[in-house]
Amino acid sequence: MAYKPQYYPGSTSVAKNRRKHMSDDVEKMRDISDEDLTALLGHRAPGSDYPSTHPPLAEMGEPDCPVREVVEPTPGAAAGDRIRYAQFSDSMYNAPSVPYWRSYHAAINFRGVDPGTLSGRQVNEMRERDLEEYTKRQAETEMTDWGLAGLRGCTVHGHSLRLQEDGVMFDMLDRRRLEGGVMVMDKDQVGVPIDRKVNLGKPMSESEAAKRTTFYRVDNCAFRSDKEVIEWTQRIWELRTKYGFQPKA
Amino acid sequence: MADPRFKKAMEIKYAKEWGSNKCGSTAKSKITDKKTKYLRLGYQQNPRKVEMAKCGAAITKKRGLQAYDPKLHLAGIPMGQRQLTPYVISGTDIVCDGDDLHFVNNAAMQQEWDDIRRTCVVGLDLAHETLEKRLGKEITPETINYYLEVLNHAMPGAAIVQEHMVETHPALVDDCYVKVFTGDETLQDEIDKQFVINIDNEFPANQAKQIKSAMGKTSWQAVHIPTIVTRTEDGPGTSRWMAMQVGMTFISAYHMCAGEAAVGELAFTAKHAGLVEMGDMIPARRARGPNEPGGLSFGHMADIVQTNRKSPEDPVNVVLQTASAATMLYDQIWLGGYMSGGVGFTMYATPAYTNDIVDDFLYWGNDYAAKKYGGNGKAKATLETVKDIATETTLYGLEAYEKYPTTLEDHFGGSQRATVISIAAGGATALATGHSQAGLSAWYLSMYLHKEAHGRLGFYGYDLQDQCGATNVFSIGSDEGCIGECRGANYPNYAMNVGHQGGYTSVVAAAHAGKDAFCVNPLVKTCFADDLVNFDFSDPRGAFGKAALREWDRCAGERAFVIPAK
Repeated sequence: MAYKPQYYPGSTSVAKNRRKHMSDDVEKMRDISDEDLTALLGHRAPGSDYPSTHPPLAEMGEPDCPVREVVEPTPGAAAGDRIRYAQFSDSMYNAPSVPYWRSYHAAINFRGVDPGTLSGRQVNEMRERDLEEYTKRQAETEMTDWGLAGLRGCTVHGHSLRLQEDGVMFDMLDRRRLEGGVMVMDKDQVGVPIDRKVNLGKPMSESEAAKRTTFYRVDNCAFRSDKEVIEWTQRIWELRTKYGFQPKA
Repeated sequence: MADPRFKKAMEIKYAKEWGSNKCGSTAKSKITDKKTKYLRLGYQQNPRKVEMAKCGAAITKKRGLQAYDPKLHLAGIPMGQRQLTPYVISGTDIVCDGDDLHFVNNAAMQQEWDDIRRTCVVGLDLAHETLEKRLGKEITPETINYYLEVLNHAMPGAAIVQEHMVETHPALVDDCYVKVFTGDETLQDEIDKQFVINIDNEFPANQAKQIKSAMGKTSWQAVHIPTIVTRTEDGPGTSRWMAMQVGMTFISAYHMCAGEAAVGELAFTAKHAGLVEMGDMIPARRARGPNEPGGLSFGHMADIVQTNRKSPEDPVNVVLQTASAATMLYDQIWLGGYMSGGVGFTMYATPAYTNDIVDDFLYWGNDYAAKKYGGNGKAKATLETVKDIATETTLYGLEAYEKYPTTLEDHFGGSQRATVISIAAGGATALATGHSQAGLSAWYLSMYLHKEAHGRLGFYGYDLQDQCGATNVFSIGSDEGCIGECRGANYPNYAMNVGHQGGYTSVVAAAHAGKDAFCVNPLVKTCFADDLVNFDFSDPRGAFGKAALREWDRCAGERAFVIPAK
């Protein structure tokens, strides 16, 4: 499905990066195999069939419905896959993505996705095979620096903590770490050990992360410096306030 | 530029040893460092956790059934993978463990809520009118004094009319009493001092004048039933307990017939017609009657806190103390316990009363506004004013988190940061304008800016409460909105707002701090203007801190007197 580029105010590098993420105009930076990704997600054994919650839609004899005719099911929905999740944490020390932009990226560019946005984590829920496709997009592109982000189903603690001495975001469950100059992960997203050590590639250098981030920081690209974003935010607040006021004549 | 107010607390927390956490010896010592060494020392680094583990093991052995064991955390990965650091009680030198701020472990926090729930105000005037006009009794200061003498015998649970009755033991109910207050100066002087909350003595002169003017010549009883009763029963039980004892006392003190029909009229006027409860009844789906936290309005909560009466010269501190008492009650006890069924949202509330971060933000915002607009209450309550103070205060707070990574680590959840910055933005704006709606408006702009800057906000983005909040700030028609003072934990858009309700209360307090004697109800304000109330409502932070150190001794409702000594 084709989407138009997305709009967001601001002229700073952060604002530009935010527009890129919303438009899915993101650079691929690494390869992660399907099997490795399946192992990291931890929902099914790599190579096994997708468990299903209902028969394929084509076999279900669905009733006539104009909405069903208009909306083409995603592959996962058509097959009857379970809805599963992928959840990322992003450090506030210039991780490329931030929770709201992961949600915007998912909601704008993919179908059948239920994004949940928190402060320390962002969760997307989708049919399982759709989820794997989408998570691969996040995991392989500049949206994710595996040094400053992590796939964390639980115990997400880390986004606001100081970085480790090696520049990696803290993970209480030690799911992934820097080894030999690359990030490796040997537990799934909820911390259960897996049968492999997945190579997630080199972490970004500090300068590269600063360049690619969607996070405003006073020591990189200060929010204060992006006047257009601030003014638009104030405008939205003012319009919502006035709209709600509506004094009766 | 002056050091931020949180500097000392951050240094205590992150650059000094606590227990055996090795902060300061192996970790970097500067509170501005972006990197640190995580030692993964486990719970053993923390003395309180060790004490708890030992206790849990003893309980397991004694009862032959598994009890607390920190090694069961995360299938064998105990807490303490990062350094377990202490908390400084804001505005004090008290340093304690986080565990000591859980309301179960903190006697002062429990007593704060006990003291609110066990309290009601009930009018005397209607009862007196009924006695005089319907029953032909004469009311004089002497009869009132005798009535109060009898009532203070009866209210804790003593008999006054019948024979062969069982009674409560005074040692268990010594926190229970009734005092009166009135705007009638003559009556105030004529009633025995032991029974009077003297408005002129308890309030600064300008505040006393406001209170008496609002109250007129009416007279009221401040009733505090026994803590042990309110712990056994529930909030609605407070007025019922009061009503029974007040009714019986009138019968006894004024020598009335216990069965005559006119006594029914007295019962209504004495017990119910002039009743003011601390919290209103809330909808059946929330399953609570009156005097439970869900029905406690922000205005009442702000009036219950007494800092403004004792130290009006520091209105920012008034706001901060109110935020502390209110976040503890609304987050730790109401939403964290009653509503979620959980073990308490302690970490939602601690930023309001620990480590001086919100203090730094609010004092800064207040200074900014005071310099620009000429002092508290001087700024016009316009959208332009709100926009200015909210934006600048929010930017200051956001940048503080960015410049001082230890503050970001202390407020490790976005919910904590969002509330703290909004308390500062909303509080500074309300202080500047004297207008609670302006303060709430600033709260929402702060939330928008915060979300946009950091790309995240609080739990589930605070999408519900903080994205739609701006639209109902200035609408006060029924079902559209309400003035801040009368909003409360049950206000439709606020009912599930964890991490917010104490903040809203502080914004309401800010609109009046330092200049008004009360926020919304002079009766509630006066009722708690009394040092005999167990919890120190003029210094909630100090009480929390002393209790965390296990040094706070004003608790009530203990059963130790009637159980075997340990």
